[in-house]
Amino acid sequence: MDFRPLNDTERRQLIGALRGNAESNLAILMDRRTTTFAGTTEEITDDEVITAIRSVPCHY
Amino acid sequence: MGLLDAEAGKRRLLSVEIPVIERYNDGRDPDFKIQLARLGSTLVLRYRLKPTHNIYQLETRLVASYPTVPPETRVVTPLKCCPHLLEGQTLCLWRQGSTRQTSRWDPAKFTCIFAVQAAWRWLACYEIWHDTGEWPLPDAK
Repeated sequence: MDFRPLNDTERRQLIGALRGNAESNLAILMDRRTTTFAGTTEEITDDEVITAIRSVPCHY
Repeated sequence: MGLLDAEAGKRRLLSVEIPVIERYNDGRDPDFKIQLARLGSTLVLRYRLKPTHNIYQLETRLVASYPTVPPETRVVTPLKCCPHLLEGQTLCLWRQGSTRQTSRWDPAKFTCIFAVQAAWRWLACYEIWHDTGEWPLPDAK
C-alpha cells in the first residue's frame, strides 16, 4: 500500500480525538459514506449511533 | 451455542447482528459496506475502513461460539509490524486468551459493529504510530 501520512494538523486532531475518546468519553464520528474521521461529539443523536465510536473498552 | 445452526444463535443473528449491519450499511458508499460470507460455522464480515487518507481491507470473524467468544478481526491490507498486532495481522482488541471475567468483550452489550468501530480506532492509532513511532493510547490495565 502506498501509505499517505497525516499532516501535522490532521495528526494533532486525530490524537486529540483518540485521547478524548479514551479519557473523557468523547465519541469519534465517522463519515457516513466513507468511514473517514469526521470529528468528535459529546452527545450522540439517534442518527449518529451507528457512526459514532464510543469509548470501546479495548486492550490497547 | 452455534451462531449459524442453533436456535439461540440464529435468534441473535436475526434480531441483533443483521439489523445493526443493515443499519451500518444504510447510506454508505458501496465500497465501504459490510459484505457477509459464510465459512463453515463462521460468519465473516468483509469491509473497508478509511480513518484518514488510507483505505484498509478487513475481516471480522464471528465463530460458532460468538458472542460468548469475541469477534476476531484481522487487517488484510499489508501493515508494518507494530504494537498490538498479532500473528496473521489479527488486531489485539479484547485481551486474547483472557477469561470471560477479565475479557474486555461484553456479549451482553456489544455487537459485531463494536468490533468494526474498535478496528477503526486501532487503525487510527496505527496511522499515528506509522508517522511518529508512538502508539497514541496507553495500554489498558
